[in-house]
Amino acid sequence: MIMQLVVNGIVVGSIIALGAIGLTMVYGILNFANFSHADFMALGAYIAFLLNVTLGLNIILSFFISIVITGAIGVLLDFIVWKPMRKKKADLVSLIIISIGIALILRNGLIFFWGGGSRHYDLPVLKGTEMFGVIVTYNQVIAFGTALVFLLIVHYLLKYTRTGKAMRALSDDIDLARISGINVDKVIQWMWFVGIGLAGAAGVLYALETAIRPNMGWFLLLPMFAAVILGGIGNPYGAIVGGMIIGLSQEISTLFLPSEYKLGVSLAIMIVVLLYKPEGIFKGTKT
Amino acid sequence: MIEYLVAIGLIIGIFAIFALGLNLEWGFTGLINFGHVGFLAIGAYTTVLLNQGGFPLWISMVAGVVLAGFFGMLVGIPTLKLKADYLAIVTIGFSEIVRLILLNEDWLTRGPMGLHGFDRPFEAVIPFDYNYFLFLFTFVSLAVIYILLEQLVHSPWGRVLKSIREDEDVASALGKNVFSYKIQVLILGSAIAGFAGALLAFDLQYINPRNFIPMETFYAWIIVVLGGSGNNKGIIVGAFMLQFFYSGTRFLQDFVPFDSTQMSSLRIMIIGLLLVVFMMYKPQGLLGKKEELGLGR
Repeated sequence: MIMQLVVNGIVVGSIIALGAIGLTMVYGILNFANFSHADFMALGAYIAFLLNVTLGLNIILSFFISIVITGAIGVLLDFIVWKPMRKKKADLVSLIIISIGIALILRNGLIFFWGGGSRHYDLPVLKGTEMFGVIVTYNQVIAFGTALVFLLIVHYLLKYTRTGKAMRALSDDIDLARISGINVDKVIQWMWFVGIGLAGAAGVLYALETAIRPNMGWFLLLPMFAAVILGGIGNPYGAIVGGMIIGLSQEISTLFLPSEYKLGVSLAIMIVVLLYKPEGIFKGTKT
Repeated sequence: MIEYLVAIGLIIGIFAIFALGLNLEWGFTGLINFGHVGFLAIGAYTTVLLNQGGFPLWISMVAGVVLAGFFGMLVGIPTLKLKADYLAIVTIGFSEIVRLILLNEDWLTRGPMGLHGFDRPFEAVIPFDYNYFLFLFTFVSLAVIYILLEQLVHSPWGRVLKSIREDEDVASALGKNVFSYKIQVLILGSAIAGFAGALLAFDLQYINPRNFIPMETFYAWIIVVLGGSGNNKGIIVGAFMLQFFYSGTRFLQDFVPFDSTQMSSLRIMIIGLLLVVFMMYKPQGLLGKKEELGLGR
């Protein structure tokens, strides 16, 4: 029983981790909690649905095109909303309120076009395999494997590419990065592309594991924030570890709590961290 | 016709009170509470449950208000010493947990079936249509809360709140205990939401967890942002505008090719868009003073 929960927790945790990377990067670099981030996961899932089911494309192709489109929408929003606000040196609290406005538009836009019900990708239904008494579904293996590959790609991007290094520099100190000759706006746009694109990827994987629903992001928002705060704000590696811890604790909690209260586990972990170690378990950039 | 106007007026009054609580938090103090609906729910359910448990109505109402304020304090303790974002994250989570508890603890709340059959103030002695009385009761309460809040925000205490909103380092450099002020504001704002919750229960006569979905919080937000953050008069105007928008778009339903789900999602999209546009271009709202509110400078 517990092994089954651990397996489920690892799968969900890797998806939360993937989504939380973008959230923590925005938080670290632009300094605000982006409440629309989780709804981009749902957007990514629906774009892939549009490509896969409505247009009849192959699921793998749909997955990658959806990541690119979702990421591009993230960049577009930077041009329309976030960049003008940066130029105005807007108060950070107004950015948070704007982000919740965007969240409402996205979520209800999905309901407007696709309705409130659940949808599924056009995939063959495959039975799970049983290993040592633990049932692992085909979709779980795919979701975890893909998430793992993406996490490695992110690691490579951040460690070895110029843009990735610049992103980490921005997260440490944006003004210092600017005077050392980094084109800040361009790096920020790359950050949106990568962060929101990863959110879209996480959305598709989560939809594989569960179903495509307009409010699917809503139920991941709190776990993702918990992962980000636990791992230290602005620290992508922290977000990955945080995501795994949150995913595992949510699943294991169902041993002694009704599963409806999974979200409460995220909230409880977050409150304990805020009370005793607000900077997170790894070094975050800001508290 | 008059019954319809009274029914709409009741909703306007209740939401104006609900939003006045948020305005104290966000408009005057700069606290981002994304879980205001949680306190509305606590007020409504406490009032109803205690009354059904045999307590007199007024004691149940006071308990609802006090409990909402108490939870405001609990939420504030881990968050208010940190950046503004943390309060936003924890409150949104808190309100969702409250809703999940209402939905799943059937033994207490009857879950999705909801609660009905409870007293309403003076219902037994009112000889005319009770809604008229409730309308009067709501608007008298609104007037009293409005006047008390106006006095509070124009007192030295209120001026400290505004200084916290504009620059909390300045306030603490002047020796003000910023954390304590913020906690007081969150307690008071949540208590006001709790009172609005009791009124909502009286108006609906039947409450269930669906009345307390996260969107209710953002109705209060759009009222505050439209009317003018930090402007209590603007809140009343904002509450009227939101209701006109709602009733108006309901009349439009017959003329557009959308079903009712699409119409309601379209409404929320417009509210989201207004939040974005106002925060970008007119953060002081329609009636707020630009020179006073430091946002977006």
